[in-house]
Amino acid sequence: MSRFIRTCRYMLLLIILCMTTGCWDRREMDDLALIMGSGIDLTDSGLVEVSYQIALPTGIPSAVKSGGSQKQVVVISAKGNDLQEALGKVQQQMSRYVYFGHREVFLIGESYARHGLNQVQDLFTRFPETRYNSYVLTAYGATAKEILSAPYPMELIPALAISKIQSSRQSFSVKFDEFLKAFSSPGTSPVTAAIRIIHKGTDKESVAIDRTAVYLGNKLSGFTEPSELDLLRWWIGDPYRLGFTIQAEPEEKDYKGTISVKSSESRVHVHTKILDDHPEAKVIFHTVVKVVSNNTRLNLDNEKNRKNVEQQFSRQLQSRIEGLLTHVQKEMRSDIFGMGEEIHIEHPYFWKKIQDSWSEIFPAMPVQVEVELQIEQLGKTHGRAYPKK
Amino acid sequence: MNLKISGMQVLWIILSMNLGMTLVMTITPSLQAAKQDAWLSIIAAGCIALLVALLVTAVAKIFPGQNLIDYAPLVFGNWLGKLVIVIYLVQWYTIIPIVLRQFSDLVNIMLLPETPKEFVILLMILLIAYAAYAGGIEGIGRCSEFLGPIILIMVVLVLLANSNNINLKQILPVYADSGFKDILRGSLAPASYLGHSVEYLMFASFLSRPHKGRAYTISAVLIANLIVLLTTIMIIAVLGVNLSPNMWYPFFEMTQKISLFGFIDNFDAVPVVIWISSVFVKLAVYLFLVSYGTAQFLKVQSWRIMIWFIAPVMFVFALIPQNVIEATTNYLQRYWVPFALPVNMLGLPLLMLIIGSLKKKAGAATTAKGNSSQ
Repeated sequence: MSRFIRTCRYMLLLIILCMTTGCWDRREMDDLALIMGSGIDLTDSGLVEVSYQIALPTGIPSAVKSGGSQKQVVVISAKGNDLQEALGKVQQQMSRYVYFGHREVFLIGESYARHGLNQVQDLFTRFPETRYNSYVLTAYGATAKEILSAPYPMELIPALAISKIQSSRQSFSVKFDEFLKAFSSPGTSPVTAAIRIIHKGTDKESVAIDRTAVYLGNKLSGFTEPSELDLLRWWIGDPYRLGFTIQAEPEEKDYKGTISVKSSESRVHVHTKILDDHPEAKVIFHTVVKVVSNNTRLNLDNEKNRKNVEQQFSRQLQSRIEGLLTHVQKEMRSDIFGMGEEIHIEHPYFWKKIQDSWSEIFPAMPVQVEVELQIEQLGKTHGRAYPKK
Repeated sequence: MNLKISGMQVLWIILSMNLGMTLVMTITPSLQAAKQDAWLSIIAAGCIALLVALLVTAVAKIFPGQNLIDYAPLVFGNWLGKLVIVIYLVQWYTIIPIVLRQFSDLVNIMLLPETPKEFVILLMILLIAYAAYAGGIEGIGRCSEFLGPIILIMVVLVLLANSNNINLKQILPVYADSGFKDILRGSLAPASYLGHSVEYLMFASFLSRPHKGRAYTISAVLIANLIVLLTTIMIIAVLGVNLSPNMWYPFFEMTQKISLFGFIDNFDAVPVVIWISSVFVKLAVYLFLVSYGTAQFLKVQSWRIMIWFIAPVMFVFALIPQNVIEATTNYLQRYWVPFALPVNMLGLPLLMLIIGSLKKKAGAATTAKGNSSQ
């Protein structure tokens, strides 16, 4: 009897062990197509086009060098009436299962973004393999497919290059969850980095991320200028090592009259108030900088000169920020700065009254900008190394 | 076999039952009701859970060495007492298939979409049947002594690893968006899950040193409350309240956010450990209680025999719900919150406490009188 029971026990353990392997969902490595980046476009005829950049097995970087300049990735795409149909058609071309676990970037083509993004949002929140840590970018003046097909000289896998640029802290980056969060928030509009192809048609073809794409509701409403990128990073991104250059003196024969700084510490404070049922905001930009180049006659060891330069910086940056504000607030009418969220936090009961009409109120809201800049370091030298004239 | 558990084991049993399930299943209803004030809901829920713990430990103290099946007839009389026992048995009989189903739903949604749910459920059934049959409450107690700390460490690990994603601004504004009613409404679901100390009515008789049980039970409830509170604040601060109320399992989504130093990523496996350990302890405890209670109730000699009948029935019941909403939302909103919470966890223990202590006093008074008149 006891032997029978013992046999039963071992049988039971064996059955349990067999079932814990999870073999129904097993995926062998050579049955997977590792999607490194994916993109979505709207074609001229109104079809949705889905593109994947897939790492070829030889393209996965390893310590052992694989010979020659083999092709390391392949871009596969398919068109359909809607997203699901396009996705189904992609799978029909594939010998392997599509696997999203390693997807680093997700690109939205410009025309698709202008058309509206509802479908994307739903698909990617329901899908279990969606990683919130992947980056979202909008293609500027190109389709997502073109960006995915563009080569990148420094990396074997172009999608990894995009992901590396985005995670470098020197670039404006938005991750998937931040993007979705802004989408579902009544007080913030979504914004993504914008990527474009540079040196198109030459052998130096590559990609650059120097703009941001501003959304209003679920539609793309415009792009910011490259000159505004650092200002946007200061305001809503990661304000790490912002670089600014100003014209401190008029240009002369030997001197360009410019001073450049890099920030070491920056932050932004937003204060909102309600005046006669109308919201107002004051945004204070703080930054501590070090001088990285001085192309003027001014000697910054001198306290008076330094104060003068600080003031000039503050004034010129202020007008640049106001320019950015006009561009985004008045022309694109989109609240990417999360001003609505600030009002929500500081004046919750007032917010309840206006939240439904926020998209009409925001473009008319007065916003006052103030810049406080402080020079902390002058680099390795006091003055100039070469003799003064 | 000697069925004895220590106070520490009771602590870990209650803690692991409470923690994993509450974290995974009940944060979403709170977030839906109270938005960024869900943490206030959790505090309210914690108070309710503490009240449950106080009530049941007080009841157990009146009847040392006996369990619910023994003393319900003493308190309410024979027939009413039987009814009360049936009410509790219904709670325990229904929770097992539901938890089994929730377990397989989560495994299917988050991890193994292709695996048939029958096998996920079967696996768990076999495990808990083995644990309950071979180990009894003693084996389960030892299991939870081992699994409980793992659960705790994993939860703390997830919280710590997410500390760089915190944006405390998302907690604001406090109170303005929800109000008292919504906060209270949001507290019901977590309260009903944190109120699992009600099973102490059954454990108490297995305690090796019954008078110590109360402190352990209450500290288990307090620790569980505290951790659920911290986690809820973290979820709000990390995920925000725009997206998270629509997620089935915000705790899982939060672990996917972990990204440290650029190379520590994809912690997806950690919450699975928390979840499966918690579910295992919970189900094993329930299966044992159900088998033991039913055997005692029907006056069957060996409670172990009952497992052979109950386990297959549970397996079939777990397949009944048509979809994830029926299993998770409807059961919680239609039975567990409106019935189990007020009746099983608060009402009946309170009644037993009042009637039990009155009867005991009366009994003591009559015996005292009898003694003095002699």
